[in-house]
This record gives sequence, C-alpha cells and structure tokens, in this order.
Amino acid sequence: MGNNTLRNYFIYSLLLLGVAVFPFFANNFIIRFGTDILMFGVMASAWNIIGGYTGYASFGNVVFFGLGAYTTAVLMEKAGLNFAAAFLGAGLGSAAFAIIIGLPVLRLRGHYFAIATLGVAEAMKALVQNLDITEGNSGIYLPMLNLSVRAQYYFFFYIMLATLIATLVVSYLVLHAKLGYSLIAIREDEDSANSVGINTTAAKTIAFALSGFFTGLAGSVYAYQQAFIKPDPVFTVESTLKMIVMAVFGGIGTLFGPLLGAISIEVLSEILSNYFLVAHTLFFGGLVILSIVFIPKGIADITTQKKFGLLYFLQNIRKHRI
Amino acid sequence: MVLQIIINGLLKGGLYALMAIGMSLIWGVMDIINIAHGSFIMLGAFTTYWLFTLLGINPFLSLIASIALLFIFGYIIQKYLINLIIRASAFITLVLTFGIEIFINNLAQVLWSADVRMVQLPYGAANFSIGGFVTIPIMRLIGFLIVIIVTIILFFILNRTNLGRSIRATSQDLDAARLVGVDVARTYSVTFGLGVGAAGAAGTLWSILFPITPMMGGILTLKSFVVVIIGGLGSMVGPLIGGLVLGVTEALGTNWLGATYENLIGFTILVLVLVIRPKGIMAGAD
Amino acid sequence: MAILEGKKVTKRFAGLVAVDKVDFELKQGEILGLIGPNGAGKTTLVNVIAGAYPPSDGDILFMGKRVTGLKPYQIGRLGISRAFQIVKPFPGMTVKENASVGAMFGAGGKNRSAKDAIIKAEEILEFVGLGKQMNVLADKLSVASRKRLEIAKTLAMDPEVVLFDEVMAGLNFSEIDRAVDLIKKIRDSGITILIIEHVMRAIKRVCDRIFVLHHGQKIADGSTAEVLNDKQVIKAYLGRRYKELTG
Repeated sequence: MGNNTLRNYFIYSLLLLGVAVFPFFANNFIIRFGTDILMFGVMASAWNIIGGYTGYASFGNVVFFGLGAYTTAVLMEKAGLNFAAAFLGAGLGSAAFAIIIGLPVLRLRGHYFAIATLGVAEAMKALVQNLDITEGNSGIYLPMLNLSVRAQYYFFFYIMLATLIATLVVSYLVLHAKLGYSLIAIREDEDSANSVGINTTAAKTIAFALSGFFTGLAGSVYAYQQAFIKPDPVFTVESTLKMIVMAVFGGIGTLFGPLLGAISIEVLSEILSNYFLVAHTLFFGGLVILSIVFIPKGIADITTQKKFGLLYFLQNIRKHRI
Repeated sequence: MVLQIIINGLLKGGLYALMAIGMSLIWGVMDIINIAHGSFIMLGAFTTYWLFTLLGINPFLSLIASIALLFIFGYIIQKYLINLIIRASAFITLVLTFGIEIFINNLAQVLWSADVRMVQLPYGAANFSIGGFVTIPIMRLIGFLIVIIVTIILFFILNRTNLGRSIRATSQDLDAARLVGVDVARTYSVTFGLGVGAAGAAGTLWSILFPITPMMGGILTLKSFVVVIIGGLGSMVGPLIGGLVLGVTEALGTNWLGATYENLIGFTILVLVLVIRPKGIMAGAD
Repeated sequence: MAILEGKKVTKRFAGLVAVDKVDFELKQGEILGLIGPNGAGKTTLVNVIAGAYPPSDGDILFMGKRVTGLKPYQIGRLGISRAFQIVKPFPGMTVKENASVGAMFGAGGKNRSAKDAIIKAEEILEFVGLGKQMNVLADKLSVASRKRLEIAKTLAMDPEVVLFDEVMAGLNFSEIDRAVDLIKKIRDSGITILIIEHVMRAIKRVCDRIFVLHHGQKIADGSTAEVLNDKQVIKAYLGRRYKELTG
C-alpha cells in the first residue's frame, strides 16, 4: 500500500471517528442538525448514482424518500412491524418502485426523463393525498421509540450515519466495478455504450434501483424520527432540487462531492438563517445561480486543480457562452 | 351537468394554454426548460394587483404593462445571465433556472409577504346563461378571448416578421443562423422576453380569476409542463390543444373523483403521454 | 467457412428500399470489402448486421446461427464488433478507460474481472500504438489517435469479426498506408474483417474480396481484381474516372 493511500485511509478513519463520537459532546439541537446533514448526504449521494454517474438527471427522486417514509409509517402503524423490518421494507419497496417505473421512464432521455420523473413524484404525492391507507392529507402517526429523549437523538443520528456509510461504500464499489464503467459510458455516449456490449437498460435500471433504495432508507429514518408525516413535506419537489444542488455544488459524479455539498449548503443555510431570518432563502437562490455559473463542477473539482486562480471561475462562461 | 363541466374546463384550459405558450416557445427555440416559468406568471399577477390596488388601473389595461415589464425582465435575464452559459448541458441550464426561481419567489415573499391577495372586481362574478343550460362567467370568457388574441399575435410575430424568421432560424440551427448573419444573442434574448411576457399575460389573467401569493408559481410551472408535453413542442397550436385537454380532463375528473384529485389527473396524464408518445399530440405539426 | 452470412437481407424505411435482398458471405480469416456510391445502402446493411435495427426481411447468420434482430450489445457480446466512421470515444474517460470498457463488455468480458480487463486493454493499446497515451483524456487526442483508440476499443472486445465502417475518412496517404498495415496485422491475429470504404487506395491494398452495392442491390461480388475491373461497377461507381481505381 503506497504512502498516499495509507495516509488517505488514516484521514478518513480519523474523520469517521470524529463524526462517530461528536454526538457525545453536543446538545440535542446540534445532534439533530447533524442528523439532517447526514440525511441530505444520503439523498444527494443516492441521487448522484443515477444523476451523476449515469447522467440521467432525475427530478423526482423525492418520490423514493416519500415512499420510504410512508412505507415505514404504514408498516409500523398499520401492520405492527418493528422498525428494523419497516426500514428494510422501505428500502426494498422504493427500489422495487424504481425498477417498475424505470421500465417506461428510463427509455426517455434528457429533458423528457427529468420531466417524467418529476411527474411521477408529483403524481405519487397527489395519490398519497387521496388514499385512505395513507390517511390522505391528515397524515400518519408512527409509534414512539421507547428510549429516553437523549437516547433517541443518538439512535437516529447513528442509524442515519450507518445509512450514509452504506450509501458511500456501495457507490465506491459500483464505481470500481464493471457496473461503474458501464454507467459512466452511458453518461458519456449511450449509443457507443450499446455498441461496445453494455446492456444499457439493465445498467440504468440497477443504478435507478440503488438510488431509490438508499433514498427510501433516508425517508424511513426521517418518518420514524418525526413520528408524524404528511404528504407535502415528504414528497415536495424542493427536496429533489435540494439534493441536486448539493450534488452539483459539492461535485457531481464524484464519490464525496454530494456529501461535501450537503454539509456546505446545510451549514451555510443555517448560518444565513441566523443572520437574515427573512432573506436567507434569497441567498440560497443566489448561491445556486452563482455556483452553476462559476463552479459547475463543484467544490470537489477545485481540490483537483494544480493551479488555481481567478481564471478557473471564468472557464464555464468562456466555454459555454452564446 | 356534463356540458357545463366541459365548458368550465375549456375556459380554464384556455388559461392553461396561455401559461404554457411562453414555456413552449422558450423550450422549442432554445431547448431551455424554464423552471422559473411560474415565477414570471406570479410577477405578472402581482404587477396587475399592485397597479390595480395602488393606482386603480383596470386589470385588463394593465395587461399591456405586465407584458411589457415582463418582456424587459426576461430579456435582461437572458442577455446577462442565461446567455453566459447557454451552450452548456441541458442540465446546467435547468439548475440555473431553478436558482432564478428560488430567487424571484423569495424576493417576492420578502417584499410582499406571503399573504394571499385578490384583485376584487365589482363585476367579477358576472355571468350569462345560454338557454338556461349553461352558465358562462364573463371574466373567464374574456380571459379565453385574450388567450386567443395573444396566441394570434405571437403567431404573427413568429411567422410574418423578420424577427420571427430569425427566431425560427436559430431554433433550427444556431450556427447556421449565425453564419447567415443573425444576431443570435439578441434573438435568444428577445425569445426569452417574449416567452416571459406571455407568462406575464397569463399572470394578469390569473390574478383576475384566482387568489395570488408569491409562492403560487410552483404548481403552475408543473401544469405548464403537462400542457406542453401533451400538446407537443414546435407549434403554436400545441399548447392550445394541451391546455384545453388538461382543462377539460381536470374538470371532468374532479367532478367524478373529487376536487382533491385535480393534480393527480394532470400528472398521470403527463407520465402516460411521456411514456406512450413523448412528442405529444401535435408533434412536428409546424 | 462462412463466419458471417447475409441471406436476402432487406431493409425498408417508409416506402424506400435501402437494402434489397442482399446475399453476402464473409469467409473466416478474410478481409472483405464493401463498396458502393453514396446512398447505396452500405451503412444501412452494416447497421442491420450490428443490430441497430432489424431487417425488414431476410436473415443474418453468425457462425451458422441466426442473429437477426438481436440488440447491439448482444451482437457485440457474441463477437461482432464495429469501429465507427464518426469516431466518438467516451470523452470524459481516459484512453485506457475507453479501451477497458471494450474489454469488460465485449465477447471476452463475461469471465473477466474489471482488473483483468484493464490489463487486456493495456495490451491492446500497445498493439495499436497508443501505449504512450494511456492516461490522456480521450477528448484531447488528435483525429488519427482517436481512430486508433476506436480500433483499440473494438479489438478489446475480443471479436471474431470486426466491421470497419469508413474508418479511413480524413486520413492522408501515409496515414492510410499505416492503417492498412494495422488492419492486416489484425487479420493476421485471427480476426475476420468486413471493411466498408470509399478510399480506393485502401480497398485495393487490403481486401481479398469485394462486394458492391448500388441502389440497395448487390451488383458484383468476387476477388478484388475482378470486381475493380468489372464494367458494371466502374459505370455505377466511378463513371468514366476509373483511373482512380488503379491509383
């Protein structure tokens, strides 16, 4: 093992250790904030699998989050299952939905795929708002966790952390396996990928299913944590847009980019909302605009630059202006 | 009674069509999906509201103001922002328009608060009956007529003017158009302006018929997608057909299933159309 | 032995017959040329063979088995690879990654791990002369290097048959000669080749046999010398300027 790799592993282990013990030194509010960051980390990284590696920018990934949340709620509240079973069920259910909906929808490309996925998410929200089993717009309560308040905060933090680690590990494995090569080939040139022997339909479907699986898990934890869910917050298009912005800001198509983006944007939002209670979402919009114009490849790309200066920010405009 | 429901649907469908025309123009010519579309509709609505509330200007007159103001606004945004990275991937422009949407929506909320507002016209509820069978609200009828007029004007601009020729040329082949001397940057800016202006007109009409808030744009953008997809890109008639189809289907569907099913109907149609015939009903009709 | 055969292959597009009952036979180990004027149906025929779309009528047989209507990735995995005219490597990947993809998913890919595929890719890249550019991003290559990469990707798939689809376009004389040498080297390594070309200099130097399409129909089929002197071919293809044939 080369010096560099050893050093990287050491740094990652240190970071992981830091994250793992941090709840013991923080108050509940901070732990919850950390859990939220981890949750967005999962969602952004899961989106990255279909949107970043494969190049199929889904604008409806929140559907998996909502499905995960509602599957958990229904399984626990109505079928009396414990959280472990509901958690797994949520992930698998979302993955299954991804495969089913992927059949027609993954045949579309570019804009049309984006809008189709958006339509699916909105349709699902509308459906959930009208069904009895999901209690329509009134919302579902979930059983309370039988732990002390403090312990509950720990519980959700560590489950979300485990989910994030699983998402990243799977992403890493995919990236270095044949599947990863096939996804990137599809992103770069789908017709060539077909010619070179890649079963693009199968590859895309697997990517979509993985994306759905982990997003579903995040939704599951969220539901149990909230103990009460309604259709609008768990199916809102804002969540998808947030996932996408985080992935882009951090570095789309990279392993840690989306997580980086999730951390940066959540922290920035929190700081801004403390100083500018009313106008902080305004800044978020401005941030999105500035990032996509000046750093479309995200922060992760900046770290790979050998020489870095003002010119870096102008690259995008120079290459792509009318 | 079914006929009444269909008529209601057609009238609302006309409004949907006007909302979607701007999006269809921008998408068809520049291959840009404007996520901020609903925000511009909202701005048009608020333009009319403020002109009415502060200056007592008749909403139908303020139509001109809202179209003009939004045209200028759209022109500026295209020229100084979107044109900077327009040759990047479709995804990048999508994220850009998303950022614009957040910015405009929240700016409006900061300036005008999230309160729901209405343009209250004394004659707002006026209607007339045809043979005692169907009732037609006059405001909606006027709205529908304005939709037709705006569509005709846009059609005229696109097909009978030099500007329109430039627009159609750049939509077919950007580089070829540039080579024959078309100022593509300006053409794009004008096109975006026209699309946004149309959105402004839709906003004005909306404000006369429905309550308005700064966050109203989101669902309207989504509905515009549905209309554009149903009708297909590339023709002026597409959004009209799409709008009417959506309006009538929603009217019949909500009557049968209940008002809460309104959105489900539209989005189900969207997904079905995309899966079965992505190019829409009027594909390539131009 | 015929490794690839077409029997009465026909392809219609909304009323236009692009390929009309074409029979052809590619014998194992040979280099067969496919020529014809523009619009003769060459590309359509190759698209049918490669699985881009199924024929309207007729069959394609590979090693005696029907492969009509299979999808492009299935055709690739069976052992028929195609090198494209308009060379499009995967732009965001390096040269090595591009070739690796071929090694991973082609006919030899099934039992090969990702790591082994990369090693195989490196061998192939040396073979085509790109050994020194393995870590260069594909979109930074020169046109000639890109064509070599295309061939590398194709070879990495462990094909029995390679379809070279107008790969000589845009090359100068010395580049053409080098490409001809490479193609012969490839044949010598045991691969059968079908080469679709306009560049007569190449066709004359590399093909054992040729068949000719015109208006979708086969009008000649035989050894290189026979076909290039056939009056019908000369009339259809070159008009009176047949001196170019002998160039």
